[in-house]
Amino acid sequence: MPRLLLRAVLGAALALGAHGALAQAKKAAQPKEIVGNADDAHRNKIAMCIGCHGIPGYKTAFPDVYHVPMIAGQQPGYITAALKAYREGQRPHPSMRGIAASLTDQDIADLAAYYGAEHTAAGPTK
Amino acid sequence: MRNLLFALAALALSFAAQAGGNASAGHELVKSKACMTCHGEMGDKPSAPDQPILAGQYNDYLVRALSDYKSGRRTNPIMKGMAGQLSKQEIEDVAAWFSSQQKTTLHNQR
Repeated sequence: MPRLLLRAVLGAALALGAHGALAQAKKAAQPKEIVGNADDAHRNKIAMCIGCHGIPGYKTAFPDVYHVPMIAGQQPGYITAALKAYREGQRPHPSMRGIAASLTDQDIADLAAYYGAEHTAAGPTK
Repeated sequence: MRNLLFALAALALSFAAQAGGNASAGHELVKSKACMTCHGEMGDKPSAPDQPILAGQYNDYLVRALSDYKSGRRTNPIMKGMAGQLSKQEIEDVAAWFSSQQKTTLHNQR
């Protein structure tokens, strides 16, 4: 009798566990949308960017010399696409690959929100 | 001697002009090669959120980006096809057109 009870309890636990796992799998299958936080980027995440992108006229030193692109006022969606392309190795620049590799999806969303903040379709806001 | 100097100066100037690209030739290319479909004629009106504003961007960066798309160092299927049909000179011209636009949201003050 106790063995039967044990089996029942075990079975219930397994069923519950499976149910939980299933729910988790469902959650994972539908990633919640990441919302960029420009303020968080400003306070914690732009240190790696401003040394090159925040200096008017700054040029790359390696491996070739050309102007570092202006990114402030760019479309947020493009900044996201560019950072992910660097992270996934679809763009060649060594420093940008290294930096992008250290960014999470949330970091990228925050930076895109920060640098894209001043963009409006009507033109410059400042 | 003086003539030689003039000749050298003229030669240097012609190289400089070539390196800089021709913005009005670039304007024609932007229309005929359909860059404007996605970026806008002046490069300031992208047709989708993940396409960049090009107006007022640095000339040498635009040359670099187009050259990398053409060579495959940057892998983007659409831009590979677009940049792939441009010669080196045409890349310079297109870059000259977009970089010379004054109306832009782009800046580097942050």
